Parts: sequence; C-alpha cells; structure tokens
Amino acid sequence: MKMEDMPLSGPDNTKLEALVHDIYSELVEDACLGLCFEVHRAVKQGYFFLDETDQESMKEFEIVDQPGVDIFGQVYNQWKNKECECPNCKRLIAASRFAPHLEKCLGMGRNSSRIANRRLASNNNMSKSESDQEDNDDLNDNDWSYGAEKKARKRKSDKNQNSPRRSKSIKHKNGELGSSVSSEPYKYNYNTGISYETLGPDEVRSLLTTQCGVISEHTKKMCTRSQRCPQHTDEQRRAVRVFLLGPSAPSLPDADTVVESDSFDIPDGQTLMSRLQWEDSPDISPADSASSKASTNHSDSRRPKKKKRPSLGLNSGGGGSLTGGGGSSSSSSQSNISLSTKKKRPKLSAPSISSIYDDLN
Amino acid sequence: MSKESRMRATINQKLTEMGERERLKELLRAKLTECGWKDQMKAHCKEVIKEKGFEHVTVEDLVVEITPKGRALVPDSVKKELLHRIRAFLAQHAT
Repeated sequence: MKMEDMPLSGPDNTKLEALVHDIYSELVEDACLGLCFEVHRAVKQGYFFLDETDQESMKEFEIVDQPGVDIFGQVYNQWKNKECECPNCKRLIAASRFAPHLEKCLGMGRNSSRIANRRLASNNNMSKSESDQEDNDDLNDNDWSYGAEKKARKRKSDKNQNSPRRSKSIKHKNGELGSSVSSEPYKYNYNTGISYETLGPDEVRSLLTTQCGVISEHTKKMCTRSQRCPQHTDEQRRAVRVFLLGPSAPSLPDADTVVESDSFDIPDGQTLMSRLQWEDSPDISPADSASSKASTNHSDSRRPKKKKRPSLGLNSGGGGSLTGGGGSSSSSSQSNISLSTKKKRPKLSAPSISSIYDDLN
Repeated sequence: MSKESRMRATINQKLTEMGERERLKELLRAKLTECGWKDQMKAHCKEVIKEKGFEHVTVEDLVVEITPKGRALVPDSVKKELLHRIRAFLAQHAT
C-alpha cells in the first residue's frame, strides 16, 4: 500500500482527498441522473402514477401502524382465546386445537385411523404374548416378550404398508423393524448405541454376530453398524470380541469367507466332540431341526475356500455342530456365533437360530 | 496543475478500464435502493411532476429539482463506504 487509507496530512493527500470526493460526487450524480431518466420515461409512457387510485381507496388500504394490530389492521390472536363446542363429545375445545381434536373424536382422517390400527395391533399382541409366556417359563428368562415382539413387529410392518408415515416409523423403529430380519431380543437403543456393560453375555454374543460392536472410546458404547462398517477395522472388531467374550472368542466373520471350513484340516478334540454332539441333535425337538439342517449344510460345504484365518478353523468346527439345547454352553454359544457369522448371506436363518438357542439356553 | 490534471485523467481512465467505476456505480445504486433513498426521491419526483403538470415535464426540470436533494439525502453510511472504496482503489493504483 503506497498511500494511506485515511485523509491525512500532506499536500498530496489533500489533493488525493479532493480527487476522491470528486469521484464520489460524480457517482452520486450519475445515480440521480439515472433516476431522473427512469422517472421521466415512466411519466411520459404513462405508468408512473399507476399505483395511485382515488383518495378513498388509498385511505382504506393505508398501512396501519398501531400496536396490537398488524399492518392490515387485523387483530393477530383474535381466535386464540375462543373456545368451540365439539359436536361429538360436547366438550369445549380451544380454537387452535379444534381441528385435530375433531379428527380424533370423529375417527376420520389419516392419523386417527393409524393410531387405532396400532392400538388394535398392540392389544392383540398383549393378549397373545401373555398366553405364550405362561406356557414357556424358559422364555421368560431372557429378554422381554420375545414372541410378542416378533409378532408385533410383523404386524406393524404389515399394517404400515400404505400409511404415508411409513418411512418415518421405520426410521424410528429401526431397532425393531430394521433388525426384524435379525430379530434379536436385546435392549436396542438405536440412537445412542449399546453399552456393553448392561448386556448379558448371551446378548453380547448375539449382538456381536450381527453388528460391528467396536467400542467407541468416547462413549464406551458399541458400534451398532453392520459387520462391514467402514468406520472400524476388522482388527478392532476382533479385539472387541476378545475383550468381551474372552480369548477363545470366535473371530470376525468375513463377508468373503462365508463358509470357512478350515476346521477339517485341523483335527481337534473339541471339534470331534462337538461334531458328536451335533449328531445327536436331529433327535431333539422340531424347533431345532431347522437349525440342525442349517448346520448340516454348513458342515457339508467343506471346501476350504479362502484360508484367511486359520484360527477360524476351530470355531467353524465348533460351528459345524449345534447342540440341541444341551451340551456345553461354551461350545454351543461359540457355535451359535460362528454359525451365524458364517451364514451371513442367508441372513434369515442364522440369527433366528442363534436366538432360538439363546432362549433354550 | 497540469500534473495534477494528468494524474486525475490517469486515475479516471484506470477506474473505467478496470471496471471499477461500473462496480462502484452498481454498488451505490444497490445501497441507495436498499436504504430507501430511491423511494424518497421518487416521492419527491411525484411532487415536482404534480407541480409542473405532468404533460410538460422535462428531464431538465427533474434534474434541476432532484439532484441537489438527492445529493443531500444520501445516508452517511453509504457515503462512507463509497469513499472508503475509492480511497482503497487510489491507494492501490495511484503512482
């Protein structure tokens, strides 16, 4: 900067200041002239006075500037304190609440039908789930009303097919609807993630089979995204599993290695044992037959596809077997996890299997 | 003096050539409209026209009536900003 910004001392500067002012005056005159031309043209063309009418109308629509009144002269909250009598229920309702009240009162309108449907659904589920729980004491042990929740979820997904708020409700109930595919009965707080301290070991295991589960440093909560969430690496996931489930925890499911049957390369006492146990399983209740079938498929596909993790072999061997409700809990739990991790693609079967086993255990 | 007038000529030339003059003009116009100066002036014009009879009003009439008032009515903030910008330009480009 060669010159100063402010008009200051020195002959040069005064001259410059004069120059500055001259330029400024020129600009202002230019603006005025422009305005004059504009107005003159408007007058000559006849559109200058268009916004003026007779005096009376002008007075009528003058801008009002009084307090308590808007510029049109209308009182702003005139109807706020008025109450109307509902023709249906004969109550006195405030004017601003009148329309929504009428909607609900008469039972017409989008919202009221949706609410009614939901209430019906939940009522049915309540009555049904109670009867279920009386039959099975075992079911009571685990998380609340697994059966009811399953049915409720199913019902809700049916009922809300056509309602305009469907996407919203799905978003809200992401913990339920979204994971109805992997219907696991754990306390799911979608917004804030899961705190691993509040969960039991079974829940943790079932959680870790479907979710990333990496514990955030800041919030101490487990990541609720999928197994392949980009925020966390597989190493982290493995570390979390080791941390939560012990050193013998099953390692991570890898999407590529859906069926990782390296087990058969590693003969292990436990593998043999668990396989023996598995062979017993077809005798047991039909509820398990589905799971045992799945396990059959699983162990049949022995081809060592991708030997990414040799450690996986142990667990896949364990996974090859499913105990029918009995057997060592550790191996069964491990098998649960590895099975469900293996069966990542046909997602429907695995989580339901693990949850069945959770209930039985 | 001629030196000065030469300098002035140079600066004016530069102003125009670099487009700064146009920019300043636009800036001024926008600011005047924003602050209500234009509406004020229009109202004044109406009075003048009604006075003179709008059939026969000429540009000259208007100019003579409007310009002094217009110059006076420019708000201070607008004036200051323009002066500031002009000074900045001079500071950058004066030899």
